Amino acid sequence: MAEMKSMFREVLPKQGQLSVEDITTMVLCKPKLLPLKSLTLEKLEKMQQAAQDMVHQQELAEKEKQQITH
Amino acid sequence: MVSESKRRKRTILTGFFGAHAYAGAAWILKARALTEMVYIDEIDVYPEGIAEMILDENAIAQVPRPGTSLKLPGANQTGAPSPAVRPVTQAGRPITGFLRPSTQSGRPGTMEQAMRTPRTAYTARPVTSSSGRFVRLGTASMLTNPDGPFINLSRLNLTKYAQKPKLAKALFEYIFHHENDVKTALDLAALSTEHSQYKDWWWKVQIGKCYYRLGMHREAEKQFKSALKQQEMVDTFLYLAKVYISLDQPMTALNLFKQGLEKFPGEVTLLCGIARIYEEMNNISSAAEYYKDVLKQDNTHVEAIACIGSNHFYSDQPEIALRFYRRLLQMGVYSCQLLNNLGLCCFYAQQYDMTLTSFERALSLAENEEETADVWYNVGHVAVGIGDMNLAHQCFRLALVNNNHHAEAYNNLAVLEMRKGHVEQARALLQTASSLAPHMYEPHFNFATISDKTGDLQRSYVAAQKSKEAFPEHVDTQHLIKQLKQHFATL
Repeated sequence: MAEMKSMFREVLPKQGQLSVEDITTMVLCKPKLLPLKSLTLEKLEKMQQAAQDMVHQQELAEKEKQQITH
Repeated sequence: MVSESKRRKRTILTGFFGAHAYAGAAWILKARALTEMVYIDEIDVYPEGIAEMILDENAIAQVPRPGTSLKLPGANQTGAPSPAVRPVTQAGRPITGFLRPSTQSGRPGTMEQAMRTPRTAYTARPVTSSSGRFVRLGTASMLTNPDGPFINLSRLNLTKYAQKPKLAKALFEYIFHHENDVKTALDLAALSTEHSQYKDWWWKVQIGKCYYRLGMHREAEKQFKSALKQQEMVDTFLYLAKVYISLDQPMTALNLFKQGLEKFPGEVTLLCGIARIYEEMNNISSAAEYYKDVLKQDNTHVEAIACIGSNHFYSDQPEIALRFYRRLLQMGVYSCQLLNNLGLCCFYAQQYDMTLTSFERALSLAENEEETADVWYNVGHVAVGIGDMNLAHQCFRLALVNNNHHAEAYNNLAVLEMRKGHVEQARALLQTASSLAPHMYEPHFNFATISDKTGDLQRSYVAAQKSKEAFPEHVDTQHLIKQLKQHFATL
């Protein structure tokens, strides 16, 4: 075993300069954990969505009416 | 959306009482039912309009000392994770594990930032809160009723109602929550508190709520304090703390919470309030401690579990984060966000069998395109992790198809393009990313690196400076700037 160990030794240059090139690599944006929503926020969003849908429907209905009368 | 049962209840009520709508008990019942429909916990509601954010003159100190303000998130770096590990929101805060109405925004520093749609919560910000969401909700509730409003507020004789305390309370809540007419609500509350000879703490709290909505914070503070003297209630502590947070005095709010905890030891909402303030001040380690205290009292507290989970994930312990998120799943939270987080945790904790199924479910549960985009973006990371660059490319593309403003996806796509040697495409993608999200350092840094390689030193320097602004401690950026300065010196 002792012989085996002596066979593989790291090579460190004792003369001259040792230089390590530090290459800058590009960075990826990190994975994103999505935050959970609070109940209040969910309710707010649902109410807002419902309100928007309702306004949208009413607008559509009015347009249809106008088209019929024209 | 009104639930089926509630809608039925409402139609039955109108059928029964339509003709005699003013008959006492029935009238209260109807008012309460209508209020319940649109009721949201007032403690969670913060003014969030652009005008409120930018023209906010309520902060006591315009140039606060570091660590005493919610507006300088970077000031307190103790225990805050670096943006190299944990993504940041527009306001420069690490992303949180839980979204409440007030976390949607953070506090934008400039008009430009405020005008940009917040990218953490994806609902466009109304210009002011008084013209915004609440009025829209108010008109919406009127739209639902074809016969016009249930109570015609302008014809009410408030003095008469103020003399009937039980009726007045129901009426107040109806006006405040359903009609969103804060001024009338305030009138009623003022008359009622007079009638009760200033002895009813409930009315004082309501007056405080109205003042707060109207932006009169100091008056609100007086009312809440006076109510607390009469009767100590957890709610009142929370409302008063909300006032201090609006005045940008987190330290006072913290002290108040601690006072509250002396009266109500182990109260979850107070503990949670402390944790939220620490989190907003970027003091993540203290926040985590308080969230743990919350869990000791209430081990099903979703916000605490989610925040601790995301903390563990971003401090390189995905296995522990996985346990927290699994606990949420067991508790019955079943949403796109949770499954997405589970998928990510599984992948980084090397439980590959669950990863893709979780993401598949997350995709099927996504409610809007922004959510879909975020899930695809994370699948893209899994693809990068297993070295399947084609899949990664497709995933980031899909994220962009679903949400054209996904800055992170642009940046990552640019990195992949660069690996293929498409310099011009990468450059264009990075420019898009950095204009969409100037608060992220990655696109600036990548752009600087590319420009440096192609010999465009001037642009490289400009981009590197921007990167340094977004993330001053980034070693590679510092290195690059130093190198560029040497180049310029030799020229």
